[in-house]
Amino acid sequence: MLKKIFPTLGRFRFTVQIVMLFVTVYGGALLGSYTVDRISQALPSLACAFDKQTADHCILIVNQHQLHHRIGEALVKAQEITLKVFVPTLISVATFFAFFFVLNKAFCGWVCPMGTVQELLYRIGRRLGRPLNRFKPDNVERVRPVKWLLLLVLVLGLPLAAGMGYAANELGDPYCQVCPSRLATTLLTADTEQIALRTGTNINFFLGALGNAMFGFVVIAALAVRQPFCRICPLLSWNAMFQKLSPMRLVKKQYDKCEKCGVCEKACPMDIHEIGREHGNKAFHEDCTLCGRCAEYCPDDDVIQIRFFGIRLFGSSRDYYKTRVKRESPEGMPKNRVIWLKQAK
Amino acid sequence: MKRNQLMLGVLLAITSASAGAAESAPSATESMAAMAHSGHDHAAMMGMGKPMSWTAYPTLKVKSSGESRERMVAIVVPQNIAADGIDAWSNNLIDENGRRRLPLDMAGAKLDKPTSGGFHWLAAREEQDSAVRVASSVYYYGERGAANPTDMFMHQKHELEIVPQPYPREHSRYRANEDWKFLVRFNGQPLPEQKIVLETSNGSRSELISDAQGVVVVSIPDDFKAETEGKKAGHGRPGADFVLAAEHADGGKNYLTAFNAAYGKSAFDQRSIAMGLGFTLLGMLGAVPLLRHRKAKKNDAPEQKAEA
Ligand code: SF4
Ligand code: SF4
Ligand code: SF4
Repeated sequence: MLKKIFPTLGRFRFTVQIVMLFVTVYGGALLGSYTVDRISQALPSLACAFDKQTADHCILIVNQHQLHHRIGEALVKAQEITLKVFVPTLISVATFFAFFFVLNKAFCGWVCPMGTVQELLYRIGRRLGRPLNRFKPDNVERVRPVKWLLLLVLVLGLPLAAGMGYAANELGDPYCQVCPSRLATTLLTADTEQIALRTGTNINFFLGALGNAMFGFVVIAALAVRQPFCRICPLLSWNAMFQKLSPMRLVKKQYDKCEKCGVCEKACPMDIHEIGREHGNKAFHEDCTLCGRCAEYCPDDDVIQIRFFGIRLFGSSRDYYKTRVKRESPEGMPKNRVIWLKQAK
Repeated sequence: MKRNQLMLGVLLAITSASAGAAESAPSATESMAAMAHSGHDHAAMMGMGKPMSWTAYPTLKVKSSGESRERMVAIVVPQNIAADGIDAWSNNLIDENGRRRLPLDMAGAKLDKPTSGGFHWLAAREEQDSAVRVASSVYYYGERGAANPTDMFMHQKHELEIVPQPYPREHSRYRANEDWKFLVRFNGQPLPEQKIVLETSNGSRSELISDAQGVVVVSIPDDFKAETEGKKAGHGRPGADFVLAAEHADGGKNYLTAFNAAYGKSAFDQRSIAMGLGFTLLGMLGAVPLLRHRKAKKNDAPEQKAEA
């Protein structure tokens, strides 16, 4: 029965993603209107606080505000630094981790509305016959540090500096001002306030313009590039800091045939070449979103597995692989289905 | 630099006390507070309150003081009403601060921050002969984990009441051009077809009628004048005040209730849709080359050639 509804892990994940898209974008309508009704107020996904109907919101806005209004401001009045200043931040991080512990980075691959929106766009791109622009290994390497830079500067550094008075007050939440999820989720609720550019101050204007342009770029690029924004997302790096602390893992054993195969690399939406070339800890890379596609497309038994406390939740298998590739290529091209535009040509 | 045009009135979802309390800080001026509160003599207060006030309806002004976020104290000042004290309900109705009676002195009534924090419903009541007058307002103390305020809002506190459905959530506020719902009820029962008067400190006045369920949808007017920036509400954002009032006669008594709150400029004030769309389009154009099929290049890996 379950097999009929969810013949593949991919279908199961897609269903979870759609449900979570509704929860994170519109779920507040069910829970109630006050912020205290939010599930955790520190979700490891880009569910956006600016979306007035969200059921929960991301940890990043919490980080920025606490650094700005609590820690930064308290650091200036040096005499007031007590543990109390850090308590709310510690509580937020603990709340975040309570969630993160169970699912690890699956929050990216299964829950994040911004991740889902990009995947949906990529699917549309397949239907429209758009090409796939893959990141080659050295390009991937070049892009990877950007997410750490954004985390360090926009989420942690500038808000702290603003709180301490070293940076303009508008830099209290600079990441939110460029975050594409703010635009994606509010537009999904038909709210046009966020897409309207703030003209109050130069900083607002500059960051807003950058954010809107990046959002526009991501929306179109996602038709032909897998998860273009995820690669520089500061929540990806934030989550990566805690990745090794969760019992949910991607496990890959050493296997000699990998060198000639590399199907998992093709299937990986984050172009993580390590998944094909490495094993053990190195294969569970900081960019991994635990989407499980590599395990789905590995054509040999149990080479790649998703494990929780060491228990195998899903593992690659030859038979599964055979049925999987009949439905969709590793790169995400649907098979045996009408592909409108491409065929019309 | 103006402090925080940032996130004009949008939910700024922090979990700590941070901006919260400051945000709901209203715009009373000290002189007004002192004037309106020179004594408990009814006639004197009515007389003094009127010329200063933008409305004749009873209102509550709340201003916060105290430097540290932890030790915030709010002062509640009744206007156009002679009351002996202020009643405060907290969003945690069952704890010891669930309902408090705050004594009034010259400066107003002091509302300390209870550890539970969160929303407070404030009311002043005056009963003279057959007239019952109530002023009501809401104050928010930021606190992580404060209880859900829905029960507090719905709890019956007076005979005639105007209840926000809902009140703007934490770190948010009423803004011009927005529609907000209010329930009018008498002895806990919705009052259909009840007249409600809306007045604002910017000079707007209108009348509304509640529907069959006792609900009125209030469009907060966009009545900020270009020349006047408006008074500074918390977070340094321009703000004004509005009051909703209803009158109802029953059993030989006349009841008047008023609910007042601050509101800010429209969400689209200092925002430009055209420029927003412009930059979004620019970004989109930048990505268009990615959509073109690429030609195979000399150094391509075999699989890339196949793709191309
Ligand atoms: S703008 Fe982005 S970082 Fe800020 S609350 Fe929204 S999703 Fe989180
Ligand atoms: S990396 Fe992608 S999926 Fe993960 S939080 Fe960022 S946008 Fe969402
Ligand atoms: S390594 Fe595997 S699970 Fe991780 S992102 Fe790539 S395909 Fe998904």
